[in-house]
Amino acid sequence: MGLRRPTTAIGVLALILFGYLIAVPIVTMLVQGFTVSPKDTVVVQQQEGSPTSYYLWRVFLSPVAADLFWRPLVHTLLVSTCSVVFSLILGGVLAWLITRTDLWGRRWFSTALIVPYMLPTWAFALAWTTIFKNRTAGGQPGWLESIGVTPPDWLAYGGVPITIIFTLYFTPFVILLLGNALKRLDPQLEDSARMLGAGYGTVVRTVVVPLMRPALVSAATLILAKVLGEFGVTYILGLPTDFNVLATSLYRSISTREDGAAAVIAGAIILIGLLSLWVDVHFLKEARRFVTIGGKGAMDRTRALGRWRVPATALCGLAFVLSVVVPLGVLALSTVMRRPADFSADNFTLDYWVGHGLDTPAFTDGVLVSGAVWSAVWNTFWIVGLAAVAAGVLGQLVGYVVVRSPSRLLGTTLRQLTFLPYLVPGIAFAVAYLSLFAVDRGPIPALYGTSTLLVLIYMVEQMPFATRAGISSMMQLGPEPEEAAQVAGAGWWRRMAHVVLPIQKRALATGVLMPFIAGVRSLSLVVILAVPGMDVLTTFAIRLVEYGYTQAANGVVLVVSAVAFGGTYAIQKTMKTDLGRGLGG
Amino acid sequence: MPTIRLQGISKRYPGSTASAVDSLDLTVNDGDFMCMLGPSGCGKTTTLRMIAGLEQPTGGSISVGDRVLDSVEQGVFVAPERREMGLVFQSYALWPHMTIRQNTEYGLRLRKVGRAERSSRADEVMNVMGIGRFADRYPSQLSGGQQQRVALARMLAVNPGVMLLDEPLSNLDSRLRLEMRTELKRIHQDFRSTIVFVTHDQWEAMTLATRIAVLADGRLQQIGTPTDIYDRPRNRFVAGFLGNPPINIIEFTDDEPAPHIAAAHRFAETRLHGATAVPGSIGIRPESIRIEPPSQAPAPDALTIDASIFAILPTGGSWTIEAVADGRHLFATTSVPPTCRPGDDVRLRVAAHEVHVFDTEGERVGLS
Repeated sequence: MGLRRPTTAIGVLALILFGYLIAVPIVTMLVQGFTVSPKDTVVVQQQEGSPTSYYLWRVFLSPVAADLFWRPLVHTLLVSTCSVVFSLILGGVLAWLITRTDLWGRRWFSTALIVPYMLPTWAFALAWTTIFKNRTAGGQPGWLESIGVTPPDWLAYGGVPITIIFTLYFTPFVILLLGNALKRLDPQLEDSARMLGAGYGTVVRTVVVPLMRPALVSAATLILAKVLGEFGVTYILGLPTDFNVLATSLYRSISTREDGAAAVIAGAIILIGLLSLWVDVHFLKEARRFVTIGGKGAMDRTRALGRWRVPATALCGLAFVLSVVVPLGVLALSTVMRRPADFSADNFTLDYWVGHGLDTPAFTDGVLVSGAVWSAVWNTFWIVGLAAVAAGVLGQLVGYVVVRSPSRLLGTTLRQLTFLPYLVPGIAFAVAYLSLFAVDRGPIPALYGTSTLLVLIYMVEQMPFATRAGISSMMQLGPEPEEAAQVAGAGWWRRMAHVVLPIQKRALATGVLMPFIAGVRSLSLVVILAVPGMDVLTTFAIRLVEYGYTQAANGVVLVVSAVAFGGTYAIQKTMKTDLGRGLGG
Repeated sequence: MPTIRLQGISKRYPGSTASAVDSLDLTVNDGDFMCMLGPSGCGKTTTLRMIAGLEQPTGGSISVGDRVLDSVEQGVFVAPERREMGLVFQSYALWPHMTIRQNTEYGLRLRKVGRAERSSRADEVMNVMGIGRFADRYPSQLSGGQQQRVALARMLAVNPGVMLLDEPLSNLDSRLRLEMRTELKRIHQDFRSTIVFVTHDQWEAMTLATRIAVLADGRLQQIGTPTDIYDRPRNRFVAGFLGNPPINIIEFTDDEPAPHIAAAHRFAETRLHGATAVPGSIGIRPESIRIEPPSQAPAPDALTIDASIFAILPTGGSWTIEAVADGRHLFATTSVPPTCRPGDDVRLRVAAHEVHVFDTEGERVGLS
């Protein structure tokens, strides 16, 4: 029992902590959707706090329901369905080319095509506006407009560019998921079909695709869930033509202080998220029957492309150019040009990076010499860093409790509780935090506007990944090393400090660094929680976007991209971790 | 069924300096149960996969009857799906998303066999393999032995003339292995097919094969009936690879040999009297050694070695006796309960015709 008692105590403490940080905010927010808020006592003609269906009516049935919920819902479903379909097709083809053919430079492509996934989504949106922004929106015009070609609104804003960007962004995700699944697929399964007389096409149709189905479904639902909570892209590209998805509609409700309606919309988003996850779990359960014994990898499993080799390589090259070179190139170029699309020598300047006294009143210094930027960098590092360390350590502890606790109930509850933030899109989670921490509650003071709140939400948002990392590494550890230490007379703390954590050093590092990278890029999580003066890089960039300061905003987003890309690349190189897991945001 | 003929078959993987298979000549006759035996990495699986068409040889040719399947010179390569062979993998490679019936019927479906006939043929082979009652289950719901039967049923359903088996028994426990061995032997008789079987298990090869091909380092070492290979190993590798406990090898080194080595050397030279070869070593199978009291008079036409008993290991029905001669350990086996005890001085006697003599290159020499 000596081994177990501290485990149970830690488990219970973790349960209380995450109960308050995860379950309570969500419940509090949902309650808001069904009780009268002080602002609406007159409209509803009921006491503050009394139960009401007014907000349900307002969101789903009232005259404004179409604007508030139904049209954004249709947009959300349309955008997510289209981007899921397109990225599955594109990603599927690319994954197959990379893993199974004699494509030129497949090793290089297998890394290069993943790069978009390491960047913040809304970096693509900023690059898009830099090129396509037309006279509909104010501020500096886009490159096309500047050279006299006015792009139509449908191309400049709204569903089309949003879908394209999500497709480009999620294609790497599909490549990772399907590529891994393809690599794990026992080639003997294909060989035995061929021995029975199946041609290559038949093998793909009757063996490969059916076996890839779980991975396909998984990719589709995960993308759907991520698109649901994705805020930045639609905020940047939807605003000028009033194109809303559920996430931006939610943001609008929050900024107009319609807390009740916001709670209902957030609830709806969570519900859709749950639904897609249920689909995933359902299919995965079915797929468990498919567990296969891996054979010895075939020695020669790549297929010669023959005359398709050049076009296939060109396709991969094009995908890389469109999803990496062009967006980053445009962003970079735009930060060194005074006027858009004017490529004469005197138009180029480094002022936006290192200059002073710029003609942008709210932001007069270059990105690299601005105190505000450096303060945001500092905030990002210490806030996200602290949150990531906390998430990593707590993840290991939760993993320890889940694997070692004698109480299955405790373990299961803890595991599911810490997984909950995965189902709740970032922006809905932020709303929940806003409702809970806007005022004093018992011993806990109002945290709105403090950095503590940001640390907490960053940490909680990364718990699903951190916990999963903790559980899987603890599973691999096995109880023997710890039992050996116990037999040798080491108490619980000593065992933790001298045996468990040192062995888990690597897993812990991954559990800290991956959340850090995800947090650095994350926007939707904090966009409604950050206040001026307590900005992180992402929220600071959005403020610059709102001012219409193209060069500065693009400069900051490049800094974010550099941090995220450099960090991910370094982790991948030094830790050899699987990029497919846990890179959210 | 026609004969499978491999001529000068080579396989060299890109970026590798050594050949996985090096100009191999092998003929598998109609109705043969040919075992390819060798340590891991000897090229046996690669050879099997080249016969199946899953690997393309980099040299030589493969033909079945007068149909050329591979020929590097003529630029011929027939895709595996057109070779009409059957292959069973070590990991069974059942399709996890299909039921046992669907797995079994797959080949028939591809051959456009009608539904009724398909189902009756599948039933037939499933019953032959004793898995009829699992028809609607999925592979993961079956045990390893049952999965193996499904893999065989899947191949038998299309009744290929040539059956290729890649270590099909190595994932089974020893009891199931015995059972499946009998099963394979029965299949070979009932279906009258030609079987090429890859294994690293000498016991499996000895019990199943009509002929054995021993491979090492991508080269054919010896081909022949199991008795041939065991009784007349062509070189030291083959001698050492078959037999358990392994054959005792006594090497003749130049510098001051121990008395028993000197005696063995003299014996070998006498045996080779008149031949040009220089003996490099001799091999003695453990069961060829008789253990006698040291007082026994040396037999005229036998090798005798003075030794002392080191240990006696009963193995159930037989005994392995470890003896030491001049610090060197030799193994003998006997099915008669030994009368000696550890520490006893004994004389080891080996009949002349049971001494295998090898030259300095390790090749078999001499009359026997």
